[in-house]
Amino acid sequence: MKTNVLVTFIVTAALSTAAFAGTIRGKVSGVSGESVVYVEGVAGKTFPAPTAHITIDQKGLMFIPHVTAVAQGTTVEFLNSDSVAHNVFWPSISGNKKLGHNLGTWPQGQRKSFKFDDPGIVSLLCNVHPEMAAYVIVSPTPYFVVTDKSGAYKIDNVPDGAYTVTAWHEGAKNKSNPVKVAGDTSADFTLSK
Amino acid sequence: MNGKRLSLLFFAAFFTLSLSPSASAIPAFSRRYGTSCTTCHSDFPKLNDFGKAFKDAGFKFPKDDESFLKQPPTLLGAPAQAELWPHTVFPGSIPGQLPVGLRYNTYYQQISANRSNFNQVLPAGTVGNFIPKSDFQPGYFSIFTAGNFGTGISFWVDDDLSVAGANANGSLGDAYLKFHDIGHFLKLPTDSLNLRVGEFELDLPFSQARNLNLSGWDIFSEANVGIQNGLGPAQNVNNGAAMENGANGVEFSGGHAYQGYHYSFAVFDQNTTGVAISPANVGPQNGVAFNSDANFKDMYGRLAYRFNLEKDAASRNEVQAAGTAGPRDHTFLALGTFYFYGRTATPFSGVLADGVTPTSLTAREPFYRIGGDVNFNYRTLNVYGMYMAAHDRNELPVTAPGATGITSFAPSAPVTFSGGFAQADYLALPWAMTIMRWDQVKSSADRINFIQYDPTAPPGSSFFSPYSATRNRFTPGEQFLIHANIKASIEYQIMPQQIVYNPATGSVITGPFRTNALVVGLEFVY
Repeated sequence: MKTNVLVTFIVTAALSTAAFAGTIRGKVSGVSGESVVYVEGVAGKTFPAPTAHITIDQKGLMFIPHVTAVAQGTTVEFLNSDSVAHNVFWPSISGNKKLGHNLGTWPQGQRKSFKFDDPGIVSLLCNVHPEMAAYVIVSPTPYFVVTDKSGAYKIDNVPDGAYTVTAWHEGAKNKSNPVKVAGDTSADFTLSK
Repeated sequence: MNGKRLSLLFFAAFFTLSLSPSASAIPAFSRRYGTSCTTCHSDFPKLNDFGKAFKDAGFKFPKDDESFLKQPPTLLGAPAQAELWPHTVFPGSIPGQLPVGLRYNTYYQQISANRSNFNQVLPAGTVGNFIPKSDFQPGYFSIFTAGNFGTGISFWVDDDLSVAGANANGSLGDAYLKFHDIGHFLKLPTDSLNLRVGEFELDLPFSQARNLNLSGWDIFSEANVGIQNGLGPAQNVNNGAAMENGANGVEFSGGHAYQGYHYSFAVFDQNTTGVAISPANVGPQNGVAFNSDANFKDMYGRLAYRFNLEKDAASRNEVQAAGTAGPRDHTFLALGTFYFYGRTATPFSGVLADGVTPTSLTAREPFYRIGGDVNFNYRTLNVYGMYMAAHDRNELPVTAPGATGITSFAPSAPVTFSGGFAQADYLALPWAMTIMRWDQVKSSADRINFIQYDPTAPPGSSFFSPYSATRNRFTPGEQFLIHANIKASIEYQIMPQQIVYNPATGSVITGPFRTNALVVGLEFVY
């Protein structure tokens, strides 16, 4: 009986917190170009996988876009728009080589999809064009954003509460800061390589 | 050709084996398309299937080339100008940035203890030739430029600016224009007829100029020179035309290197002496020397067919096979044959039929080279080889009774040689290639030439000789790509057996022995 009361209290508290959604805004500095800022996972809280698919194209011997952020559980479709054969693989996710995967080969105009169930940093590569690279940042929460080229960002609809927010940039060291969201909240990051 | 000259030639060949000139990867293409060397090369300069298709297409992507360009071409006329032709110059383009690549290599050699055996024939107290046990050697500094002019015309020029550290001591390699798919004017199938004009390596089964080894294949550098020294059948052949020599002329070709049929037919200057004749009272403009030895033009033809063996028919017909872990070279079997026909023209001083009036006589000796080749690839293992036979008519000088010099020539037993090679390349890792190779040349003339025992006219210097008419060389090697454009190579050359004769008596002084060599090379292109 006591347990049921406790669970009810926690759920009610969580829902009431969610009712007060805030915004995290700020700037990632110390690096140039796009970065990704995302809210780390909240213990005991899960989020439904998005149903919308994201497309990453291979065109002109490049992955387009170069940086993609998705929520955990998102299905990414890899399209080959080139007239040459391509491949997509990633050797690891955030250094965990067990999560590496190779999607194989497919011809122009066709797609292969993959559902990213594990959060982390995914380095996309092509084994016949070693200069090709792109990144998928799989956020454990739906609260993430790709910054603009100046590093400015804004994450909307973050429930008020205490979180760990991480900033990622290609080639730089990740930086995670505790952020207490209460309405419109500011959080800046300075990254270094 | 006397013994001293032959000896020097032999040593020159021996010590420059690791310096066989070769064209290489083209960094200009990397810049133009923003892609790595490994897009076209498995272990530069060896081409992978995509590189073969890129070359076949005229140094372009086989499809949608424009969509891959990171450096847009400079137009030499709007494409719409084509509608006005012939009332305007047909529009073309040039690469947006000067397509130049540079290459440098450097070597280290370690020669076995037998390297100075030939000095044993020198009289006591004579200072012999010194061959170092180890040696660092500068290699080639070369420039490459290649690309296309937008309308199915491609070009290639490579030149060795410096050889062995000496400025401007190199030579022009390939330098040609190629007109692609001219057969479409005749409504022939796509890519069934191309025309190449200029100086180029013959369409050999395996390019000597662009082979990945530190040393070239022996059979492609084999000339046919037979002299009259009394130890064997009399020979009067001085044919310096090796298969690796550059040809000046035109070449028609068709098909593809990565799939199906391929043929070529070239007509080019006859030049078996290697000597360019300077203009006298007539000649080309701008003081350019003649290249031909004779009016006759040599001919070379090649026919090959490559069977891609992928189970999936769709993949089989693509430039690259669709592997489960990404595109890769096809599993294939290629078979080919080639034929070279030429004629040497060797001038001699002689006399007319009266036996006394001086005149010039020319021995015209037709020759041919014929061979076949096979090339098998399974994933990252490539096994290939070729064999050829050479045949030169042997016109011996005849001195009529009572004449004071040569009066005519009479055919004798032909001078022949044969040989080939077999090689296996295993790309153990994308940056590590293991190579095993066997070269063989059978030439009784080579063996006899170096003996040159003539009690009445002993050669004036020491020399050594191949021990047998059959020369086998085994060359294991390993190559490492430090980066896609920097390569370290090592090979151990287990050389053919040699022997040292006494030039005065013809008796054996030392032998047989091998003068093996460890060669290490480091090269980069940029």
